[in-house]
Amino acid sequence: MNWKVGFIVCAVAACVVPFVSPNYMLTVIIEALIFGLFAMSLDLLVGYTRLYSFGHVAAYGLGAYTSALLLLHFNLPLPVTIVLAVAISTAIATPIAWVCTRTHGVSFAMLTLAFAQLGYAMIYRFKDFTGGSDGLTGIPRPEGPFGLDFFQSKIGYFYMVLFCLLGSFLLCRALVNSPFGTVLSGIRENEAKTAALGYNTRAYKRVIVILAYAFGSLAGALYAPFAGFASPELFFWLISGTVLIMVIVGGSGTLIGPIIGGVFFLMLENQLSEVTDLWPLIFGSVFIAFVMLAPQGIWGILTARFKKPAVLPQGGADGETTSAPS
Amino acid sequence: MDFVGFLLTQCLNAFSQAAVLFFIACGLTLIFGIMRIINFAHGSLFMLGAYVGYSTVAATGSFWLALIVAPIVVGAVGIAFEKVFLSRLYARGDGGAYLMVTFGLAVIMGEMIRVIWGPHPHGVATPDILRGVVFLLDQPFPKYRLFLIALGVIAAISVWQFLERTRAGLLIRAVSQNAEMVQALGTDVQLVRTCVFGFGCAMAALGGVLAAPMVTAFLGMSASVIIDAFVIVIIGGMGSFLGSIIGSVLVAYVQVFGAYYFPNMALAIMYLLMLVILVVRPGGLLGKEE
Repeated sequence: MNWKVGFIVCAVAACVVPFVSPNYMLTVIIEALIFGLFAMSLDLLVGYTRLYSFGHVAAYGLGAYTSALLLLHFNLPLPVTIVLAVAISTAIATPIAWVCTRTHGVSFAMLTLAFAQLGYAMIYRFKDFTGGSDGLTGIPRPEGPFGLDFFQSKIGYFYMVLFCLLGSFLLCRALVNSPFGTVLSGIRENEAKTAALGYNTRAYKRVIVILAYAFGSLAGALYAPFAGFASPELFFWLISGTVLIMVIVGGSGTLIGPIIGGVFFLMLENQLSEVTDLWPLIFGSVFIAFVMLAPQGIWGILTARFKKPAVLPQGGADGETTSAPS
Repeated sequence: MDFVGFLLTQCLNAFSQAAVLFFIACGLTLIFGIMRIINFAHGSLFMLGAYVGYSTVAATGSFWLALIVAPIVVGAVGIAFEKVFLSRLYARGDGGAYLMVTFGLAVIMGEMIRVIWGPHPHGVATPDILRGVVFLLDQPFPKYRLFLIALGVIAAISVWQFLERTRAGLLIRAVSQNAEMVQALGTDVQLVRTCVFGFGCAMAALGGVLAAPMVTAFLGMSASVIIDAFVIVIIGGMGSFLGSIIGSVLVAYVQVFGAYYFPNMALAIMYLLMLVILVVRPGGLLGKEE
């Protein structure tokens, strides 16, 4: 299996990173990996089901605030906290998914945006609990289970984030290649036809929205303890747009593309914003160029070189290389 | 008597806010109706209008001239954008692509404005004739806000009459119902789309100029206004002109009275209103479910 070799090579290469990169770069790399995970979770919606969520930042903020609050109020080991935060966020996401999937298309995009904005408003509403505009500061990074202090170090944190990213990738990959994922592709290509074949498309969409929230909240839950604070900015709607850009530029419907997009953009932003303050200008232009000229994204361009032209279109069943058809 | 006066001024306040919101929401809903595009850049065009208005006032000293120049400039920007980018995406038939291209435009325009006009807010002076207050039931009320209400009502009636009574308005309504059929009957649908997009952008710019004397031209104004406009358009029903009027008034009332009675829930109430309406009527109050 070709992709397995590639996956193992990438994983091993990533494991070496902390030993070759300077310390300050490691901070950027960890944040980039977290954002890659976040972008990948959005790809489940955008790339595989063509549900354009403009409020995916809600998942991120939810995960971040839940883990921050858990860490501030309970003295639980870090991995336990993160798992708990994801579980709570997923539970909160369930009714949200139920409401959002009543609509589709533009209404879906706007409803998700409304929920994200509602979250933003709630942060200010429950000031005593969430810290309001000051956010939550001084989030501790407690010792791991059985007195392990591995995760308190930056390198340890790096491995935890890497583990979460790779694990999520494998899970998502298995998901989109499963019969469940095939139905999602069916919804993407033609929802009416999929429904006519007897699939309850709304139930499928509900599940994928919940799962996308779960993985998105994992990214958020990893971010807050690393940064040491959580601010309302984590709910800001522009981040939803930014992460959508990363998914499209990386290559939607490929899982790996959005990870590359997220990691690449965050690192580039970090490097360029020191040099030029025109970063958003470049960012916006590159984005428009990709939507107009290369909707298959970076990963789509890369793989198109090596891929033999398929005799028959596979209808999006092979999650590995499918790009959203135009 | 005091309470009645208070209620009156608050109501008028809400109406003046509704007028500004209407200028941006009506363009947004017309563009959606005819092109099925959610224009994310509409807030930035509103902001651009405010800045162009500021420069016109600074150069010529005339607020009235700004009300003419800004819509023309911003309308031209909108037409250029539609011609160069959006017109190439119609064939793709993927609503998400518009959402993303216009989002990209919003990012670029925000940055361009920062580069050209600098990061500081620019105040626009209220024209002399509209300065000061009038007393309504012994309560002072700014003249400028009364002017906004009047202008909003005039604009709403003229656009409505234009859509209902003129041949161009008929074409616009026809395209929004069935573009292919209109094309088959020999009308240049592409031209109609370009004109409507330009008109929508010009309306947003007008709103921007009108808002500038109250809130100044500042960099964050696009973000706050675009979300309000989305909420209005969704509440009213996407593509429904009458819906955009109703939505503007509703949202303005929620904002003004919410800010007074539930100061720390004001933001949330607006979104809750939108959620409730969408759950009950997924297409909005006057819209059809797509």
